[in-house]
Amino acid sequence: MKQLTISSDAPGERLFALGNEAIARGAIEAGVQVAAAYPGTPSSEITETLAGVAKEVDMYVEWSVNEKVAFEVALAASICGVRAMASMKHVGVNVAHDPLMTASYIGANGGLVLLSADDPWAWSSQNEQDNRYIALQGYIPVLEPSSVQEAKDMMAEAFELSEKFHHLFMLRSVTRIGHARSDIVLGKISRERRKGQFIKDRTRLVYTPREARINKPLMLERFEAIKKAVNKLAYNQLKLADGARLGIIACGLSYSYALEAVKWLGIEDRVSILKIGTPHPLPEELVIRLLKSVKEVLVAEELDPFVELHVKAMVGEDNLPVKIHGKDLLPRIGELSTRRLTEAVAKLTKAKTPLDFAGIDKLEQETAPLLPWRPPALCPGCPHRASHYAIRIASRRVARDYGPGVESVYPGDIGCYALAYNPPQEASDTIICMGGSFGIANGLSHVIDVPIVAHLGDSTFFHSGIPPLVNAVYNKANITMVVMDNSATSMTGFQPHPGTGYTAMGEETVKLKPEEIAKACGVEFVEVVDPFDLKQAASVIEKAIRFPGPAVVVSRRLCTIIEQREKRKRHEETIPYYVDPEKCSEKCNSCIELLGCPAIIKVGAKAVIDSSLCTGCGLCAQVCPYQAIVPEKRQ
Amino acid sequence: MMREFNILITGVGGQGVILMSELLGKAAVADKLNVRGSEILGMAVRGGSVTSAIRIGEDVYGPLIPTGKCHALVGMEPSETLRNISYLSKSSLVIVNTAITIPFTVSIGESSYPSPEEILKQLDKASGKIVQLDAAKLAQEAGNHLATNVVMLGALFGTDQLPIKIATIKETIEERFPAKLAPVNMKAFDLGYEACRQAVR
Repeated sequence: MKQLTISSDAPGERLFALGNEAIARGAIEAGVQVAAAYPGTPSSEITETLAGVAKEVDMYVEWSVNEKVAFEVALAASICGVRAMASMKHVGVNVAHDPLMTASYIGANGGLVLLSADDPWAWSSQNEQDNRYIALQGYIPVLEPSSVQEAKDMMAEAFELSEKFHHLFMLRSVTRIGHARSDIVLGKISRERRKGQFIKDRTRLVYTPREARINKPLMLERFEAIKKAVNKLAYNQLKLADGARLGIIACGLSYSYALEAVKWLGIEDRVSILKIGTPHPLPEELVIRLLKSVKEVLVAEELDPFVELHVKAMVGEDNLPVKIHGKDLLPRIGELSTRRLTEAVAKLTKAKTPLDFAGIDKLEQETAPLLPWRPPALCPGCPHRASHYAIRIASRRVARDYGPGVESVYPGDIGCYALAYNPPQEASDTIICMGGSFGIANGLSHVIDVPIVAHLGDSTFFHSGIPPLVNAVYNKANITMVVMDNSATSMTGFQPHPGTGYTAMGEETVKLKPEEIAKACGVEFVEVVDPFDLKQAASVIEKAIRFPGPAVVVSRRLCTIIEQREKRKRHEETIPYYVDPEKCSEKCNSCIELLGCPAIIKVGAKAVIDSSLCTGCGLCAQVCPYQAIVPEKRQ
Repeated sequence: MMREFNILITGVGGQGVILMSELLGKAAVADKLNVRGSEILGMAVRGGSVTSAIRIGEDVYGPLIPTGKCHALVGMEPSETLRNISYLSKSSLVIVNTAITIPFTVSIGESSYPSPEEILKQLDKASGKIVQLDAAKLAQEAGNHLATNVVMLGALFGTDQLPIKIATIKETIEERFPAKLAPVNMKAFDLGYEACRQAVR
């Protein structure tokens, strides 16, 4: 029998899938023809999955240079009558915000869906923003799944809804949907393929003030129609329990926690539950029916009180005798859980909690001090470690000349190199957003008088590093900008980008070079170094910092994970290094304290290299003051 | 059908934790069981702590195991096993690989690693039964140290509590690896299985 895969045309069959694969499957079932994205956790696997089957299912898939372009690519396809989607992490939607706010004025010809992957608890992100507010601002209806299965179903149906109402839809996933796993039942795959057609329509597509004023009322009409329709949508479900005092309004994933909580407390038959699949617009008719049937309501939703505020407004408007709870009992920070729901419901129903949670917490607190700190770290052999070290020694040399005690400032960015913010490197002084390192460096240069050395990666450079680079040239910012080029978007899973020479669908394409772009932008000091040649790299970076005006150094070395993979394919042996205990000094510890390489550990008073982890990069040998680190001898 | 069986797998990035949950999930689906799970990827991985949950049964809706509701905690690394103590209750079973992985923060003096006795003492306060296993050694014995995770899977089945059939998980493992690695993994599974059965007995 042929193995079942994510693209199998096998309706009714069950497949074990990652949430993001399920979302991709929904898009395949809907017959999506264009999928564009910029990678970002927890959304990347959606587009990776689609890219893997693009040719087989006849879909155009691209990794766009950033989220704004990705959304514009999808929007254009929709304008031409083709089904299209753009996927991104929650903060990626900020980058796409500009076209997004006008997209709802335009409406949709071909179904148009924006996938926003929110990240409660900021597992892999710089903040916990709740993108339902962006949807609110842009009049974008939101579908929010309660399970992996529903994520697939909603994704497929979102395109139907988008075409039915001629309007853009958002599917809001969260980490525990996209990175959850579940059995899913496959649906039918649509094989319909449309030929794109651009019909000139200045009133709908050319936005000057006149068109904004013409289209806004039309957009509001479309949104009103959607607002009515969501009351009948199967993703919103009201289950009234006879004589229930308490109702739960459970939004998205919170619904699964709510079901488990009432079951755990043994009060399923005493609580009414309204499952919300469309937090925006809210199914107000269902909400009113619940509000009129109970005395108290708990709104369960992750992050901000989005639905809660809306429900409170409804209660106020109709002067209903019902008390609304939400963020008074559940946190605004982090993820919800069965336990959090159980405790909140127990409080409101005076039910006994099924476990001694306080006792468990006490034991956990007592255990915490025993545990070693295990932060994520740069991989053994990572070239970023070498780049960071070269930047550090170069800028220290220059800072000395600024005066005693002067320290350089190192604006950092989003990507693997950010992992060196931990000790011992502490290599980033700011990390705020994509491309933010160069932007922040621009501002710093006008208000402080110390060396400013900013760094970002190759993918981030193409994403949003070029405008602040141009800005530095134009506004004469005296800064050093290091592009740590490892030829991959490594943090999110090695996706290709404009510097890698191939596309999402595996086609060969041009290979753009950051150094050529920098030169073309008017940067006068542009050099390329190999970070594993530490002396040379540090000396070039030192010159760059001393250069009066903006300077760019491209520190280029292939990501060690890809390098190791390719070496294995070539049957090339890796020769690890080892520490000669005769030469290693007990007083030194330099390799460990300067580099923080996971392959170097301390056994007794001396350093030891774990040969199973060592990739033979030789960086530690270059920093060892006793020449104690050498390659292992092989026969 | 089983109402609820929760398995938490913990370890360090690179130990094959995610692969273990994939194998369990696939096997559960093959046995027509309802299955949910969740894991942490991305920023939190690169050499950091990893946990993956697999939940099987009719009463399972959410992707996360509730506090105190883990039936079997499979620890690929002792301190990472201890880190997840809040999932345990007196009815939980803990299977722990005794091979430790020292984080670099210990080498630079930013934190310290607990003694095996301390770890056991704490785990014992929370759980019903603890099975210790030198899984890395058993994997070597099977022919490849990389099969440590399959040894631990075998041990999990050695508890005789799983709703998944042993034949199904073995087929799933066999399908997942290239033919030349299958015998090593089968042996690794059996060694883990036997070691756990003897310890539980």
